[in-house]
Amino acid sequence: MTGHKAIEDRSNRRWAIGFTAVAVFLFVLYHWIVPNGPSWLHDFVQGWFSNANTNEMIVYIIMALGLNVVVGYAGLLDLGFVAFWAIGGYVAGWLMSSFLGNFKINIFGNPAPGLEMGIHVTFWWVLLAAGGFCAIWGIIIGAPTLRLKSDYLALVTLGFGEIIPQVFINGQDINGFNLSNGNQGITPIDPIRFFGFRNLGPFDLDYKFVIYAVICAGMVMVSLRLRQGRLGRAWLAIREDELAASMMGVPLMRTKLAAYAVGAFSGGLGGVVFATHINGIFAERFNFSISILILAMVVLGGMGNVWGVMVGAIVLSWINGIGLQQFGNTVNGAFNTNIDFPSFNFLIFGSLLILMMMFRREGFIPEARVRLVMHEHEDDNEEVH
Amino acid sequence: MANALEAHNITVQFGGLVAVNDVSFDVPEGGIVSLIGPNGAGKTTFFNVLTGLYKPTSGSVRLNNQVITGKSPHIIARNGLARTFQNIRLFGLMTAEENVMVAMHSHMRSGIISTLIKTPHQRREEREAHERARELLDYVGIGKYASDYARNLPYGDQRRLEVARALALKPSVLLLDEPTAGMNPQESARFVDFVRKVREDQKVSILLIEHDMSVVMKVSERVTVLDQGQKIAEGSPDEIKTNPRVIEAYLGKSGVEGGH
Amino acid sequence: MPADVATPMSTAAPRAPRLDPKDLTYKISGGLILLGLAFWLGVNLFHDPAQFFTVAIDGLKNGALYALIALGYTMVYGIIQLINFAHGDLFMLGTMMSAFIITTVFGQKAPSLAGYGAFAVAMIVSMAFCGGLNIGIERFAYRRLRRAPKLAPLITAVGVSFVLQFVGLHWNGSGQRQWQTVLPNTQFNINGVVIDVKTVIIFAVTIPMLLILTWLVTKTKQGRAMRATAQDQDAARLMGINVDRTIAFTFGIGGALAGAAGLMYQQVVGSTAYNLGYQLGLIAFTSAVLGGIGNLAGAVLGGLLIGLIQGLNDGLSYGLGQQWSQSVVFTILILLMVFRPAGLLGKNVTEKV
Repeated sequence: MTGHKAIEDRSNRRWAIGFTAVAVFLFVLYHWIVPNGPSWLHDFVQGWFSNANTNEMIVYIIMALGLNVVVGYAGLLDLGFVAFWAIGGYVAGWLMSSFLGNFKINIFGNPAPGLEMGIHVTFWWVLLAAGGFCAIWGIIIGAPTLRLKSDYLALVTLGFGEIIPQVFINGQDINGFNLSNGNQGITPIDPIRFFGFRNLGPFDLDYKFVIYAVICAGMVMVSLRLRQGRLGRAWLAIREDELAASMMGVPLMRTKLAAYAVGAFSGGLGGVVFATHINGIFAERFNFSISILILAMVVLGGMGNVWGVMVGAIVLSWINGIGLQQFGNTVNGAFNTNIDFPSFNFLIFGSLLILMMMFRREGFIPEARVRLVMHEHEDDNEEVH
Repeated sequence: MANALEAHNITVQFGGLVAVNDVSFDVPEGGIVSLIGPNGAGKTTFFNVLTGLYKPTSGSVRLNNQVITGKSPHIIARNGLARTFQNIRLFGLMTAEENVMVAMHSHMRSGIISTLIKTPHQRREEREAHERARELLDYVGIGKYASDYARNLPYGDQRRLEVARALALKPSVLLLDEPTAGMNPQESARFVDFVRKVREDQKVSILLIEHDMSVVMKVSERVTVLDQGQKIAEGSPDEIKTNPRVIEAYLGKSGVEGGH
Repeated sequence: MPADVATPMSTAAPRAPRLDPKDLTYKISGGLILLGLAFWLGVNLFHDPAQFFTVAIDGLKNGALYALIALGYTMVYGIIQLINFAHGDLFMLGTMMSAFIITTVFGQKAPSLAGYGAFAVAMIVSMAFCGGLNIGIERFAYRRLRRAPKLAPLITAVGVSFVLQFVGLHWNGSGQRQWQTVLPNTQFNINGVVIDVKTVIIFAVTIPMLLILTWLVTKTKQGRAMRATAQDQDAARLMGINVDRTIAFTFGIGGALAGAAGLMYQQVVGSTAYNLGYQLGLIAFTSAVLGGIGNLAGAVLGGLLIGLIQGLNDGLSYGLGQQWSQSVVFTILILLMVFRPAGLLGKNVTEKV
């Protein structure tokens, strides 16, 4: 076995340990320290790093890692990623609630008492179903359009990202069939059964965090392994120079479709996770700015870099979800001003995209780490020989 | 000797413009042949037909006796036609090693699932690919750059990396598109030796497009001249040197027609 | 208008005249779609001809605005192959500038001579403002990315769009604002077909503008420089053309047209909103693609067609209705991409190696 593999495995082990440590710390914090700690700690955490916000953050990490496969690895600009989020969410809505009341199906499901009508499938199967369904949609939308130039693809995905939410918003009566319950959305979603001993309702944020963290870890693993393999290299080659890649024997269509399908799959996962997080699906939440927010996460982190993208997702979802609001409240309180800080979202994300493209196209956490791993591996090789 | 690559009566038209007109051409097995011509003579267009980027308006191309006309570039590449680019087209933000491994794509089998669960077959395949990539990089003399980004390599070494990448396809025919562009005379001379060595070691036939006449005359066993989309001469370097039509094409008034 | 500023897309090579089965399926399904469309129009026309024409003319009115915006997309795409995502937001700022000039500065709220004067001033200011802004954006955001991979300027354009929306948000507030118009509210009724005077005004402004543009691109030195730059920047530079200035000029013209469209939208529809540019920009872009991006005549044709289709869909008795308006437009976009990415008037050009 060459040094390369050894290093790869070692660095993989290292991240697994780091990830677990952070997750365990957060769980202990939310489950035990905050409820039992002093009230200032409670207020501080609630205000700046609430459990709900952390869970939402994980949704964004999952989504961003998925989009990273499409944009960061394969270099295909997808401006309508929110469509997969929406589709994934509605799959959860259909399969994990009493919404489709004409049925009474229960597959390892966990309906709340009194809501036994409808389809109830276990959370883990719904994840797979939503991912698969989204992947199929990804292929349907991708197959005819991936042969186009990249900027055209961007527009088609954008169109798709506009149509899908509109379908759900207008979907309470499609020829008499209620697809989505329109603007009222679908709620509640079945509680998740937590390893057989607890039903996770809307307030069990700490346990849900554990489940979401596991899914997120899975996404990280998928991203890393695919990147290191044959397909990952083909994706990067296409990103770097499509024509040269095809002349080196990389089938463009199939490889791009694979990226698109993997990205869509993760989008579906994110959708299900989000649906269980907010205990419902609401069509008007899925708008264009979400697609751009996720794109900004990928760009900020350095396209293609898994760690960078995770950091990007954490920082931006925090700013978007809680940080800007809290910061604004603090500033307005201190200086007795009345500035509408959340409205600066547009400015922040817009300038971020512009400045990143101008000055740090490789993102804030770019090659450095990659280079490090590679050089370690070079040294290792010398030991081996 | 059999032919590794044969092009029969290739014609390419863009709208009303005839870029390549009824050109037949072959690359004998194990040979080194050159294609030359003034700017706009249709060399690049012809090259693009061979590699599957353009579909010819008429005519056919055979690679190892299989018809490849109109096939996608990646299928033609898989069948054993590899190329380098006039203006280097490496995968800039991938390491030199990865650049080479990309070209092994079509000889590898692992898919999404086997990569995710790391089957023994996938691990072995990856390991072998790494080793082969290292060998190729050492072979072209840039092993020390294996883990550097391709875009950070010195210019001459980028050209070498392009050759290593092309060889990773295990080609039977290697097309070199102006490989000595931007090299000084010493580098060019060394490149000539290198091309011969590659032919011997790797058992490939080589087709060269080149501007530098000294390189062409030194390395080629046969030279074909295109002018304004037509084949105007073919023969040994010495024959070409003295061919009046060739001299006219290069020195006459016809040298600046646009034909891309 | 034979002004072909551009090199459209598609990597398709010169095609052999053979008919391969894939092509045939595309052609057949494309034909079926058109047939369905014709059937739908026929049914509606038969059902209520007066309504049909009223709605159609109203649609064409919007179409003229789309055409003006689409021209900006198509010109910029033609010259530097960039989808200027921020173009719609430029239009949005144009609507606000117009409202600012006419209502805030001149205080005009009803049709009058002073009102028309304010309208004229607003036209000049709005066009200059949007044109200048577009030049500035090109200079500071896009120019240095001209040689970067495609993805970079496209993402930058999305970023610029957000920054402009931020400006709009603070200028206009987060909601929709209604404005009184200085244009007459009269309507004609010809055999039941209702025509708004504003529609007439829009065409009276748009058509001369298109004529001037055509003249500019086909007859002037600057226009020739534009076409040369669109063909091959390096060659144009060698021929002594100032490529930077030519590109800036193109952005300026495109921006000015968006400014004009902004004024007319604000006066005719009477509302402004910070996210207007996003919605209309996408529709206008679809128009540009429909006509064949890079092709000026195509942008106008595409704009009118999209306006017409949207108007018919929204207004006819047998239509999907307004809540599906966006979906209809984007479905057209997607179908186009599948069946005819070069658009109606565009032509396939091979990619350079």
